[in-house]
Amino acid sequence: MAVPIFSPVVGWFARLGRAYRLTLEHSGALGLLVWHTIVATVRLRVRFRDVVTQMHIMGIQSLPIVFVTASLAGIVTSQQGGYQLISASPRYVLGTLVVQSIVLELGPLLTAIVLVGRIGARITAELGTMVVSEQIDAFESLGRDPVAILAAPRIIAGIITMPLLVAFADVVGIWAGMLMANFDAEIGPETFLYGARLFWHSWDLFYGLSKAVVFGFVIPVISVHMGFRTRGGAEGVGLQTTQAVMFMILTILILDAMFPPLMLQ
Amino acid sequence: MIRYRNIHKSFDIPVLEGVDLEVETGEMFALFGPSGTGKSVLLKTTLALVIPDRGDVEIDGLSVYYGGPKTLEQVRRKIGFVFQHAALFDSLNVFDNVAMGLPEAELARMPRRDVARRVWDALETVNLEPREILAKIPSELSGGMKKRVGIARAVVGRPEILLWDEPTTGLDPINSAAVERLIKRLSTELEVTSLLVTHDVEGGLSMCDRVAMLYAGSLRFCGTPDEFRNSPDHVVQAFVDRAAAEAALDMALV
Ligand SMILES: Nc1ncnc2c1ncn2[C@@H]1O[C@H](COP(=O)(O)OP(=O)(O)OP(=O)(O)O)[C@@H](O)[C@H]1O
Ligand SMILES: [Mg+2]
Repeated sequence: MAVPIFSPVVGWFARLGRAYRLTLEHSGALGLLVWHTIVATVRLRVRFRDVVTQMHIMGIQSLPIVFVTASLAGIVTSQQGGYQLISASPRYVLGTLVVQSIVLELGPLLTAIVLVGRIGARITAELGTMVVSEQIDAFESLGRDPVAILAAPRIIAGIITMPLLVAFADVVGIWAGMLMANFDAEIGPETFLYGARLFWHSWDLFYGLSKAVVFGFVIPVISVHMGFRTRGGAEGVGLQTTQAVMFMILTILILDAMFPPLMLQ
Repeated sequence: MIRYRNIHKSFDIPVLEGVDLEVETGEMFALFGPSGTGKSVLLKTTLALVIPDRGDVEIDGLSVYYGGPKTLEQVRRKIGFVFQHAALFDSLNVFDNVAMGLPEAELARMPRRDVARRVWDALETVNLEPREILAKIPSELSGGMKKRVGIARAVVGRPEILLWDEPTTGLDPINSAAVERLIKRLSTELEVTSLLVTHDVEGGLSMCDRVAMLYAGSLRFCGTPDEFRNSPDHVVQAFVDRAAAEAALDMALV
């Protein structure tokens, strides 16, 4: 029994200690997962077919929702930009604004958020179910490596697929923004593209796609990690999936905020 | 031979607190115990599916926890594990599920026809009609069928040791008798060592060479079935009596 009078303080320290331990535990497990994935990949224990299957699920099957999200992002940016810039700046600046917003920020970020819901949640639920129904144990008991079979294909596929999806989102978003500019602000494609080119650095595309690679790594790593840690039946799977989604979104937003100071100096 | 040495494991609360147990080669050994005492956890420590906090397991002299990854691989190849809830792979059909029971390297170089033969034979030993179920996926099977496919997967690789986590729970009397016959046949004909966790105390006592009872974190009893029935220990007595009462109730209901 804790001494009653100290209990709020003790409780606070206990919580702090627990949070600290949990953070260490998660970091350790995440690090191990990444390490095992690298080892399994280098030793060629990952089946190419599994990677292709995952790329199909993450990439091809995500195209419709990414298309919708990216076009809306392009349309909204174009409209708001047109509204704010009207009469104050040269008209071609709208092209600059839309292209830069999409390539630097909206393309990678929105695609990542969509993929958290579509892929991240799915992976955690899938692997979590395999844990609670002892399928992961069964893999191990049969001498198979769950990381090589389940984790690595998803992580590799994420790293490859995400930049492709973001490139697709960029093209769609810019195209939608350009259509909107033509329609709404009566800025023709030539003017729009002139503005886009005027301030264009190839570095921007590299920057946006670097984000994509990082997010494409983070989503499967966290979702696989959370899936493997699932405990306690169907309820546990639900709980774990929600937590994984929060974890992924927060990580992505934090990483997104770290990119400008690191890469846009 | 399986030798558990001083196995400790806690999750939020201590589950195993120093379990020592030896199962001889070729022996049929039953492990009893109330629900939640850690019988499944103990079985899983044999293959490092659950890592104990302290202690070691030796399989024919190979140390599971101090022998390195190669030894663990070797140990896992020797042992077949029958999971309490079958644990079939959802996304694979019955054929691929059972074929997974063959070691990875062997499966890669074995001709498809030989794989098919092994899978076929394994399904027949558990009283399943291969033709009907080979192409089905687990969600299309009944609980008892899943369980038997799980057994087929565990035996198809011809293990030297079989760990059975409640193999007959959830099976009808005919199939549970068939599984009991299978366990007996494997151990008499093929010298397979069987360690069996079961709630069917009568079945375990009549079938096994030795039995043990796990209670409150450690082994409360270890000996022959006769010694178990006549044990002066009141905890063992209460357990035997309740099992007998439950068996009688089951008989009345059938
Ligand atoms: N992965 C785990 N995480 C947390 N607790 C666990 C885990 N596995 C088992 N436990 C706990 O360990 C205890 C023993 O579980 P175990 O499944 O071994 O019991 P059991 O003897 O097999 O029971 P039953 O006869 O019902 O199958 C239980 O209290 C369970 O909640
Ligand atoms: Mg159990």
